[in-house]
Amino acid sequence: MPTSGSAATSDRAEVDTIIVGGGFFGCGLAVHLRRSLGQRVVLLEMEEDLLQRASYANQARVHNGYHYPRSLLTAVRCRVDFPRFTHDYRECIVDDFEKYYAVGRDFSKVTAAQFRLFCERVGAPIQVAPAAIRKLFDPALVEEVFTVREVAFDAVKLKEIVLRQLAECRIEVRLRTEAKCVRRLEGGALEVTCRTPEGEDRITGAAVLNCTYSRLNKLLIDSDLPPIRLKHELTEMPLVEVPDEVRGRGFTMMCGPFFSIMPFPPRGLHTLSHVRYTPHCEWMDGAAAGWRDPYAVLRRAVRTTSFPHMIRDVARYMPCLKGCTYVDSIWEIKTVLPKSEVDDSRPVLYRRDCGLPNLTCLLGGKIDNIYDIVAVMSAMDETRRA
Amino acid sequence: MSESSGQTPAAGRAASPEATIPSKRSSDCFVSVVAPVHNDADIVEAFLREVIAVVKREYENYELVLVDDGSTDDTAARVASFLEQERCIRLIRLSRRFGQDIAISAGLDTVIGDFVVVMLPESDPPELIAEVVERCRRGPGIVYGIRAHRPSESLVMKVGSRLFYWYFRRVLGVDLPPNSTDFRAYSRQSVNAITRIKDHLRYLRTFGTYVGFGGEPFVYQPRPRRARLRSRTLGEAIGLAINMTVANSTRPLRIVSVLGLALSGLCVLHIVYVLLLHAFVRDIVEGWATQQVYGSVMFMFMFVILATLCEYVGRLLGEVKDRPLYFVLEERTSSVLLVDEQRKNVVTETD
Repeated sequence: MPTSGSAATSDRAEVDTIIVGGGFFGCGLAVHLRRSLGQRVVLLEMEEDLLQRASYANQARVHNGYHYPRSLLTAVRCRVDFPRFTHDYRECIVDDFEKYYAVGRDFSKVTAAQFRLFCERVGAPIQVAPAAIRKLFDPALVEEVFTVREVAFDAVKLKEIVLRQLAECRIEVRLRTEAKCVRRLEGGALEVTCRTPEGEDRITGAAVLNCTYSRLNKLLIDSDLPPIRLKHELTEMPLVEVPDEVRGRGFTMMCGPFFSIMPFPPRGLHTLSHVRYTPHCEWMDGAAAGWRDPYAVLRRAVRTTSFPHMIRDVARYMPCLKGCTYVDSIWEIKTVLPKSEVDDSRPVLYRRDCGLPNLTCLLGGKIDNIYDIVAVMSAMDETRRA
Repeated sequence: MSESSGQTPAAGRAASPEATIPSKRSSDCFVSVVAPVHNDADIVEAFLREVIAVVKREYENYELVLVDDGSTDDTAARVASFLEQERCIRLIRLSRRFGQDIAISAGLDTVIGDFVVVMLPESDPPELIAEVVERCRRGPGIVYGIRAHRPSESLVMKVGSRLFYWYFRRVLGVDLPPNSTDFRAYSRQSVNAITRIKDHLRYLRTFGTYVGFGGEPFVYQPRPRRARLRSRTLGEAIGLAINMTVANSTRPLRIVSVLGLALSGLCVLHIVYVLLLHAFVRDIVEGWATQQVYGSVMFMFMFVILATLCEYVGRLLGEVKDRPLYFVLEERTSSVLLVDEQRKNVVTETD
């Protein structure tokens, strides 16, 4: 079965594309490649199930542009993708809650007037929140509160949709299969060595798509390829039971060292995330410190919750949040491109021929980036054909 | 004290079995320490080390907020190096120098603690943090430091400061405790009240009295970190005295109004006198001297009145402009790389 030796050509590869990482992007691209290009695809996932890591452990927000007053391009992209995503994945969309954005007075990087103007420019619906909502905030610290339209997704339902799509396309999914390294065979095909519960396995494909998010560099480094400069954060999102005033509502404070409290549909709780306290530590791949396996960092981190810090800060802006009851925390690694530290943008990383021809690395920050990636992929295929 | 005994840490422990939370004696209170720094590169590291040692020993939950008031030396860089080693430190850099009281205010605007200790790196002893917090927990909204002795200074300053405190207490009716310093512990309630005051001329020492909530003095021995403490010049001291007076009381204005009224009364009497004289006495030759004295007295008071009005009009203008108190250049938070055990996970070999 392993196609080693000089006779191996890309034609003789078992499949067209091996996708490493069964998160939302990995699955979405598998479906895209199968449906649009008719490719033979195999999907490798190290966990017991798909969409278990960053696709699950996030604030479940479908961005509608509001979040990026300092990156117009990202905001406009969100606005374009929002209706598509909420339509294509409507079964997992949760929109039975009201969403408010508040603008802080001190330490805020935007003013209320600026924020409003920005929203109007990108065409995101915005209006001043009703008095009953504004009353929940301390006027000394909060300049204005706006009603906006933003929704959440239920990560568990999203997984069901994705599973159904994969089944419809008859895509082979190998769970509990960790891709260890990639090498190029003489004929040009790529061979992925995997670790499975049964032992080591090999699979060959014409192309490999690395969609492993925080572990992008793990595969590269273990394959003796140069890593990509990425920034990782060990993040904590407390899950809380909210007081009545907040039930069925989501609040986000813009734009600085503030917080966001959003419904988390799979658990029926709210997630609390805080710009200052959600990241517990951060590190950069490729820096002098060497390289760390993000999952090992996550596994070994001393998980002392920052909830006492968060709740004290949050209650200054919204005194009623003092009534939150801490339930649990979601710990996950968040990976971003170093660039976005400056301007807050969330571009998608799409790097082809990453050390090896036909090895593509892919990193998206938001769930609706799937459309951007598909668009870029199609455009590149066209230029390749031309 | 209602011992709610930190519900949240307990819940946190339950959720993450690996978490080890040492029991500290003040585990159920969150303490924030605020320190303004300005060109303090020479002392800031020693100060930070001492404060960190104290808060780590005493509290489970704490934060240390340094506000850099437009330093031109490498104070910010030195603090930044601590952010990588120690948890729960924040550095807030203001866009330029705004003055110590505004820097402290910027810190108070952002702290999250149940109790907040403000201290100056130059002279305040970190080992007293636990004690002032403990006193503050017992009830008073503010525990304010009183230095046990004033640093040696000139006779003019000594007399001047006495006069100033006397004037404040007796004439203005503002109780400014003599020799009080910026070393203070605030309860959350009093911090919330103080951060609502957006006056541009800020004297936190008098705000404490203004917001109420009760205050308690705390006599301590300052511990200078420099051989020569930075002290005010006579000019600065006089300017400060005038500003504080104007900022804290409209009573001088009242005195001037009363004075003006009294003098107008005097004028009326004088006019009556002159008219009577004119009516009943012939052949007036004397009066030149009276005119002179009268004129100069009137002018003197007029200028006093004008000067006082100018001061207040100036302040009014300042407050009416309603500009932000300060601008923040950046905020940086501790980002401690993981402890040693993580070092083992660094992949050096690539299989």
